[in-house]
Amino acid sequence: MAAAARDPVSATGLDEADEAVRGTCEDASVCKRFAVSVGYWKDPYIQYFVRQAKERKAPEINRGYYARVHGVSYLIKAFLKKTECNCQIVNLGAGMDTLFWRLKDENLLPRKYFEVDFPMIVARKIHNIKSKPPLSKPIMESHSGDSLLIDSHSLDSSRYSIVGADLRFSSDLEEKLKKHNLDIHLPTLLVAECVLVYMTPQQSSNLLKWAASTFPVAMFINYEQVNMTDRFGQIMIENLQRRQCNLAGVEVCRSLDSQRERLLLNGWETARAIDMMKVYSFLPQADVKRIEGLEFLDEKELFEQLMQHYCICWASKDSSNLGLANITF
Amino acid sequence: MAEGERAESGGGPGPGRPPSPAEVERAEALKTRANEFFKGKDYENAVKYYSSAIELNPTNAIYYGNRSLAYLRTECYGYALADATRAVELDKKYVKGYYRRAASNMALGKFKAALRDYETVVKVRPNDKDAKLKYQECHKIVKQKAFERAIASDEHKRSVVDSLDIESMTIEDEYSGPKLDGGKVTLAFMKDLMQWYKEQKKLHRKCAYQILVQVKEVLAKLPTLVETTLKETEKVTVCGDTHGQYYDLLNIFELNGLPSESNPYIFNGDFVDRGSFSVEVILTLFGFKLLYPDHFHLLRGNHETDNMNQIYGFEGEVKAKYTAQMFALFSEVFEWLPLAQCINGKVLIMHGGLFSEDGVTLDDIRKIERNRQPPDSGPMCDLLWSDPQPQNGRSVSKRGVSCQFGPDVTKSFLERNRLDYIIRSHEVKPEGYEVAHDGKCVTVFSAPNYCDQMGNKGSYIHLRGSDLRPDFHQFTAVPHPNVKPMMYANTLLQLGMM
Repeated sequence: MAAAARDPVSATGLDEADEAVRGTCEDASVCKRFAVSVGYWKDPYIQYFVRQAKERKAPEINRGYYARVHGVSYLIKAFLKKTECNCQIVNLGAGMDTLFWRLKDENLLPRKYFEVDFPMIVARKIHNIKSKPPLSKPIMESHSGDSLLIDSHSLDSSRYSIVGADLRFSSDLEEKLKKHNLDIHLPTLLVAECVLVYMTPQQSSNLLKWAASTFPVAMFINYEQVNMTDRFGQIMIENLQRRQCNLAGVEVCRSLDSQRERLLLNGWETARAIDMMKVYSFLPQADVKRIEGLEFLDEKELFEQLMQHYCICWASKDSSNLGLANITF
Repeated sequence: MAEGERAESGGGPGPGRPPSPAEVERAEALKTRANEFFKGKDYENAVKYYSSAIELNPTNAIYYGNRSLAYLRTECYGYALADATRAVELDKKYVKGYYRRAASNMALGKFKAALRDYETVVKVRPNDKDAKLKYQECHKIVKQKAFERAIASDEHKRSVVDSLDIESMTIEDEYSGPKLDGGKVTLAFMKDLMQWYKEQKKLHRKCAYQILVQVKEVLAKLPTLVETTLKETEKVTVCGDTHGQYYDLLNIFELNGLPSESNPYIFNGDFVDRGSFSVEVILTLFGFKLLYPDHFHLLRGNHETDNMNQIYGFEGEVKAKYTAQMFALFSEVFEWLPLAQCINGKVLIMHGGLFSEDGVTLDDIRKIERNRQPPDSGPMCDLLWSDPQPQNGRSVSKRGVSCQFGPDVTKSFLERNRLDYIIRSHEVKPEGYEVAHDGKCVTVFSAPNYCDQMGNKGSYIHLRGSDLRPDFHQFTAVPHPNVKPMMYANTLLQLGMM
């Protein structure tokens, strides 16, 4: 694919780095599955995508994923409501995410739901979908018309599509999505959870610019690190490097301001960013109290530090004046 | 509307004044509205309208009974109980009232109280099948709970030690690790053990069991408040939380010397959990306790408990390296760890801090029966869980257990007990220690770069018999082997939320 264009030596180096990034897909899914198994939230589908965790995850990790899943979901549902589901969702670096299936259960599907990830991950996801009826049935149910198009790195149906592509090459990405009937004139929500940070600032800027210039009515949700210049952030970077995981885009994760600026500079009209501790405080507190009772957190320091180093940012451009800029917690 | 009524009649109906016919009628109308809301599952409005009806006519048991049911549906069991009780007070023959009260008590886990009300209903309505069913169900639960209590107290008396046959455990020839010398811990054994552990090897389970059984005996003989004297020329080193960070523990011994009769140590709790080398830390500490029982002291932390060990990794680590039975024995041994230590009658050391109530004395601490899991509240819980706060008074704890105590609390406790100051741990501090409450409350924390994340320094305190003021020594984290991430539920090499 695009890899052929690169010279063999650097391709191997890049491949190792990419492999480490692909590894984070499993980390995230296993953690989510563990949190679900303890009762933090319901997700009947994740068990079909990923193995059970071998060891317990720490309570602050479980709470962190809870806040992430619910924070992002809140914004996604706000977008769906504002557009009355007459929209598209493009999940960039979706990994083993199960949102499509959960939205379908809630009758909240957009006109079409697209997922994009590395071809290797997409191949694995398609394999899981094909072999597990609880995953394939909902896709077939929501499909109308001719038979589904499936090959090793892509699956296309009326309401769900998954495509293997490299997010660093936006023209290739656009081509593949359009082949699966992406309609750039529909209000489109793009979601990236812990994705941009693995690319260089230049590469993520290109992706954001592409999104802003391609869709006249759109929203972008980005979840990733923030406040990374302090001691805690530095240690996280070192720990990750020891696992060959390079946060190539960590420079943009300096502060909430730098996160906002990056969005505005790349063609988005409005942009907001808040850290996860804030998000946690905005979530419905009755349910927060419930999950806090699931596992006793012996001390808050670690949890607060962790949450202050992640953020949710969201940006919009709205030539149809749907009121997307008003979406907030 | 209800306000207007009151203004007209100059005060609502009450014990001195029964409701007027107009009020009775209006109350009925409100109750009918409320019933409609109830049918439509709008319990909030149902409660509101029942309440308005009650305001007009507080003598009607049915209003309280209905409101009680609305509260049950919204899980406000306390209010439901209060209303049901009032209903039955107003009308002893109101059967539904007893039902409601029983249901409230069931929800609150007060099964014996619920049973009494179900009994009443069954007596009054002997042919009511539903009443009989509820009574039988409740009776079953009460019996079950009584049975559970009986076997729990039974199990508590039987120790894991009784089911162990350490003598028959054999050590294979292939095992080249440290062994106890004639069944005893020696300095040579400890040195071998620390090196063995440094190389990430496992101590033979027979030796681990020997250590545990012996240290349990030693700890069980100690009082809850250990009182020691430090002579003029003597010194002691006080360390705080170590949390399974074995390589940092080794570093403390490098910097400060191995424990010995002339180099005594006090480790102030939280030896395990979060770090990946909790087994190594705890068996090393227990080994030194056996070697120098009067010069090596261990106090219990909030992490030397079952709840914490289950979630924060120690149980997982012991089960992975040994067995569940070994963990059960660790749990028993932890229960015998003393809760506090007093040096020269002047310096008091405990893991958490001071108390949720005034007036606690050293004698109160001595009297605590500690060989148990800590209760949810009370002095034993406070000793393991509380934290100092900068402002006077006490506040609800940020941890959701025990309290936060201010400088005035510390001052009056010290005065009452004729102490100079307290040393505690329990909270990570960037510099490894903190002095608060005008020098009267010192925190010492000995797990540097806590969980491989926080970047904090560790510290330990030197106390000299000649001058009991704390002398702080700081140190930074040393490298440790890269065990695989997320090992045993700790956040070592934490990758965050990817």
